[in-house]
Amino acid sequence: MEVKETYNGTIREVTLGVGDKAVVVGGETALSFYTFEGVMPRKPVIAFDVYDEEPADWPAPVVEPYKDVLGDPVKWALKCQNEYGADMICLQLVSTNPTGTNRGAEEAAQTVKAVADAIDIPMIVYGTANVEKDTEVLAKAAEAAQGKNVLMGPIEEDNYKTIAAAALGFQQAGATHSPIDVNMAKQLNILATQLGLNADRIIIDPTTGALGYGLEYVYSVMERLRLAALTQNDSMTQMPIINTIGKEVWKAKEVKVSTEEEPAWGDAETRGIIWEAMTAIALLMAGSDILVMRHPKAVELTRDFMALMA
Amino acid sequence: MSKIIASAAIRGAHKIAKRAEESLNNAIQQKGEAQEVGFPDTAYFMPIALALLGVKVKTLGDFVPVLEKAKSMLPPEPAEHVWLPYLGNTLDAGIATILFEEIIEAVKYITGPNPVDGIWLGATDDVILRMQGIKLVDGSMPGFAACVGAMPTNAEAVKLANELRERNILVFMFGETNGKSMAEQLAEEGVQMGWDSYLVPYGKDITAASYALGFAARSAMTFGGIAPGGLKEAHDILLYNKNRVFAFVLALGEVDDEKYATAAGAINYGFPVIADTDIPQILPTGICSYEHVVSNVTHDKMVETAIEVRGVKIKITKINVPVPYGPAFEGERIRKEQMFVEFGGQKSTAFEYLRMRDLDDVENGKIELIGPDIDKMPEGSAQPLGIVIDVAGRKMQQDFEPVLERQVHHMINGAEGAWHMGQRDMNWLRISKSAKDKGFNVKHFGEILLAKLIDDFPAIVDKVQVTLYTDEKAMADLMEEARQAFIHRDERVAGLTDESVDTFYSCTLCQSFAPNHVCIISPQRLGLCGAYNWLDAKAAFEINPAGANQPITKGDTIDERLGQWTGVNEVVVQKSNQSVQNISAYSIMIDPETSCGCFECIVAILPVANGVMIVNREHSGMTPTGMKFSTLAGSVGGGAQTPGFLGVGRQYITSEKFISAEGGFKRIVWMPKELKDSLESQLKKRGESIGIPDFFDKIADETVGTTEDEVLAFMQKVGHPALEMESILEFSV
Repeated sequence: MEVKETYNGTIREVTLGVGDKAVVVGGETALSFYTFEGVMPRKPVIAFDVYDEEPADWPAPVVEPYKDVLGDPVKWALKCQNEYGADMICLQLVSTNPTGTNRGAEEAAQTVKAVADAIDIPMIVYGTANVEKDTEVLAKAAEAAQGKNVLMGPIEEDNYKTIAAAALGFQQAGATHSPIDVNMAKQLNILATQLGLNADRIIIDPTTGALGYGLEYVYSVMERLRLAALTQNDSMTQMPIINTIGKEVWKAKEVKVSTEEEPAWGDAETRGIIWEAMTAIALLMAGSDILVMRHPKAVELTRDFMALMA
Repeated sequence: MSKIIASAAIRGAHKIAKRAEESLNNAIQQKGEAQEVGFPDTAYFMPIALALLGVKVKTLGDFVPVLEKAKSMLPPEPAEHVWLPYLGNTLDAGIATILFEEIIEAVKYITGPNPVDGIWLGATDDVILRMQGIKLVDGSMPGFAACVGAMPTNAEAVKLANELRERNILVFMFGETNGKSMAEQLAEEGVQMGWDSYLVPYGKDITAASYALGFAARSAMTFGGIAPGGLKEAHDILLYNKNRVFAFVLALGEVDDEKYATAAGAINYGFPVIADTDIPQILPTGICSYEHVVSNVTHDKMVETAIEVRGVKIKITKINVPVPYGPAFEGERIRKEQMFVEFGGQKSTAFEYLRMRDLDDVENGKIELIGPDIDKMPEGSAQPLGIVIDVAGRKMQQDFEPVLERQVHHMINGAEGAWHMGQRDMNWLRISKSAKDKGFNVKHFGEILLAKLIDDFPAIVDKVQVTLYTDEKAMADLMEEARQAFIHRDERVAGLTDESVDTFYSCTLCQSFAPNHVCIISPQRLGLCGAYNWLDAKAAFEINPAGANQPITKGDTIDERLGQWTGVNEVVVQKSNQSVQNISAYSIMIDPETSCGCFECIVAILPVANGVMIVNREHSGMTPTGMKFSTLAGSVGGGAQTPGFLGVGRQYITSEKFISAEGGFKRIVWMPKELKDSLESQLKKRGESIGIPDFFDKIADETVGTTEDEVLAFMQKVGHPALEMESILEFSV
C-alpha cells in the first residue's frame, strides 16, 4: 500500500533580481523532492560566494578556481557568472568586519554598486553578522543596490528594525537569521512583517552547520520549519530557506588540512569538494532553496544530484 | 470639538483656498496648463495629492481637478447658532488645506519665489526621505516635531531645538509668528541647520507645512508598502502615520486661522498639537492616539508634554554610569574585603519599591537623592537605603509592579562594582571600593534603573523617576507604604484563582531544546521552571506580543476536576506540533502536563505508599522511587507525557490546585529535607488550611528513609492521611 502525506500549506515564492535573469525561489507544496506527494515547481538555486577583499583563510583547493580574480570582487563575480554558471552571486562584505579590515559602510556600498552593475544575475549581500556594523553597512548597501532587488542579510533580532526598514525603503528582500531555533526564526519573521516587510520579501537563514559541525542539528530545525509550514499551514514559517554552506564547510578542520599533513585522509581537493557537496545535498533534502557555495566542482556535483532527483 | 477651533480652522481653509486658486490661475495664465510641475528628485509627484486622492500631478493642468476636489471638501463656516457639527467638517477642512498648500508650494517652484532660498530647504528628495525614513522605522529617530511659528526669544528657540535634538527627534520648521520663524531665530544664533543636524527649515510660509505632511505621506507609501489609489488607501496612509510615525505639532506663538486649518490637516494624520498659547483644548481621543490639542503649555514642559501626548518612545543608548555596564558583570560577587559600603542584608534598613503612578505625577528622568551620598559614608559601613521607583505608562498596570520590581536585581548587577541580592525589604546591595574610586555613587543606582526600565520595557513604561533615600528618618513613611503594598500584592496573588480568570498563558520559551513542549501557566500553576507565574506571563505578552508567552482563552470546560478546557487543549495540540492532544492542569495520572527539562522539582507517584514524593533539582541523593533526580529527569523531560510523573515549580506544591484531581496536597509523603525546610512556612500554612495542622511533620524525608517501605512504615507510625485515601492507581483509568 502506498502511504502519502497530505499537506495544506505552500512555501511562498520570492523573486530576487530583475530582468531576464531574475530568479524565483520557493513554491513547494510538499517536502523538497517529495514530488510524489506534491509540487516542487523549480529546483533550488546556487549562489557563489564572492568576498569584497582577498580572503585570508581559504584553503588552497578553493583558492585555485579563483586565483586570478581574488581581491577584485567585480571580476570575481563575473567569473562565477560567466564561467561557472552561477545562478546568483553572494557578495560577502567581510572587509567591513570591525575585528578585520574594518572598512566603512560607504566604501562597502561602492563595492556593492560596482558588482551589482557588472553582473546581470541576482545578488545576495551579506554582512559579517556583527549586529552594529551590519546595521550601518547594510543600510548603505540597500541604497547602493537600489533597483536591483537584492537579498540582504543577515537580519538579526537585534538589528532587524534598521535592516528591514532599509530593505523596505529601497525595495530589497531580507534574510532573517536566527540561531538554529524554530520559534526564534518564526518570531523574527513576525517582527519583520510587523515592521512592514512583506512575508514574500523574506528568506529564512536558519544558521548553517557543515557536515560534522552541527549539520544534523540544522537539518532537524529546517525539517521542523518545513513541517510547520506545510502541515500546519503556519504562515510565518512558509518562507524559502537559504544556507550559507561554503563559509561553513571550508573552515572545517577535515577540509582545511592538506594532503601532506594527513595523507590517510586522501586528496585535500577531492575531500573538500565532497565535503561541500555532501553538506549541500543534505540541506537540499531538508528544504534549502538557496545554497551559497564555493567550489565549482562541488556545485557541479550538487547540480547532478538535483537532476537525478527531479 | 471646540467651536472656536472649528470656526477658525474652516475660516483658515477658505483663506488658503483663495490663495491656492489665485496662484494656480496666475501660473496657468503665465505658463499654460501643459507646464510641467514637480518637486525635485521624487517618484511621488505631488505626494499629498497622490496619497489622499490617488492623483498623479504632472502638469499645472493636472492641479485643476485637485483644486476642485479640495474646494468641494470645504465646509461652510459654522453659523452662530449651530453648536455640534464640527469634527468631521473641521477634519475635511484640514485635508483641503494641505492640498491647497501643496499647490501653492508647487507653483512657487515655477513662478517663484523659489522655495529653496537661504536657510530654507523646500521639498525633500526621495534619497533623503528613505535614509530618514529608515531611522523612523527602526526607532533610532523616534519621531518628528513640526514647529510652527517662533519662540519669544532666540535663546528659547535654541533651547527647544536642542531639547528635541537630544532625543533624536527631527525638527521641521515652517510658518511665522509676528514676522519671525523659529528657523530664523536659530540662524541668527549661528546654529547649523540641515538634515544631518536634525533641523529642517522648510519655509517661512505656513504652506511649507505641506512638505512635512508630504514627507509623512511618502514615508507611508515607501515603508508601509501602500500603493495610493482610492479612499481606502488614503485612509491606510493616514492610519500608518497615526500608528507608526510619531510626529506632533508644536504651535509656537499666536495661532491664526491658517495655522488652525493646517493643524486640522495634521490631526488627520494622528499628529496632535501642543500649543504654548491659551487656545481651546481638544482632549478626548479619537483620531489621534491620545489628546488632539493640548494648550497653554509652558515652554520648558513642551517637549515632555508632546512626547507624552503622542506616545513617543525614546531609546536611551548609553547608561550614564562611570563603570562598565553589561550582562557580563551580572555574575560578579563583591566580597567584604572589596566592599566600600553595603545596604540592607539585615545589617541596615533597606528596601526597594516600584509603584505605578499617574503620568502627571512622574517627572521622567528625575533622580533624587535624599540623605548623604557615598563620599559621606565611612568605608566598610552598612548604611540605610530606600529605592523608590515611580513608573507611569499608558499601558502600565498595577499587576506589572512586581514584575518590573524584580528586574531591579539584574539591572543593578549589570554594573561592574555594584552587587544586588534579594528583593522588597529583604534586599542587600554593595558598592565596591574600585567602583567608588571610579566615581560610582548612590545616585547611579537611579541612572541604571531609569535607563533600563525605559529601554527594556518600552511597551509598558513611558516615564520613570527614581528617589533614593539614605536618610533613615526620611524614608520611614515610604517604607511603611511599601510594606503595605507588598501585603496587598501577596493578597492579590493569593486571591487569583484559575476560576477567576478566563485567560491562561502558554510558554514556549524552551522549545529550542524541547520542541514539542508547551507550559500552560495559570494563576494557580506557575511555569515548571518557577520563573514565570501568570502575572509574569501576562506582562511578558504585553511587552512582547510576538514572544513566547501567548494568551489562551480557556474555552469550555471539559473536566473541571482534571482541569481540562477546550481552548487549552487546542493550543496544546497546535504548539506541541500535534504530539500532545489533551492536558490536565490538575492531574498527575490522566493527561499530565509535559516538561521541557527545566523543572525545579519532580513529582512521582509511590504506589505502595499511595501518595507522591517530590524531589528538587538540588537534591543529589536517592529517592524512594529508586531513582535519583537525574535519572527521573530523563524520563520526565523532553516534552513527553508520562503519567505518574510531573515536572513542577516549587510554588505549585502549596497551590490549592496541586494534583487536586488525585486528592492534592495530602498525597505528599516524601521530600528531601532541604526542600521541606525551604518551604516550611508555606507547607505548614497549607496543612492548616486543609485541617491537618501537623501535616508538615507527616512528610517523610531522607533522614526517615529512601525506600518506599521505610516511607510506608513512617506513614503508618504518624498516621499519614494518604493511607486512608482511595488508591492513587485507580485514577489511571
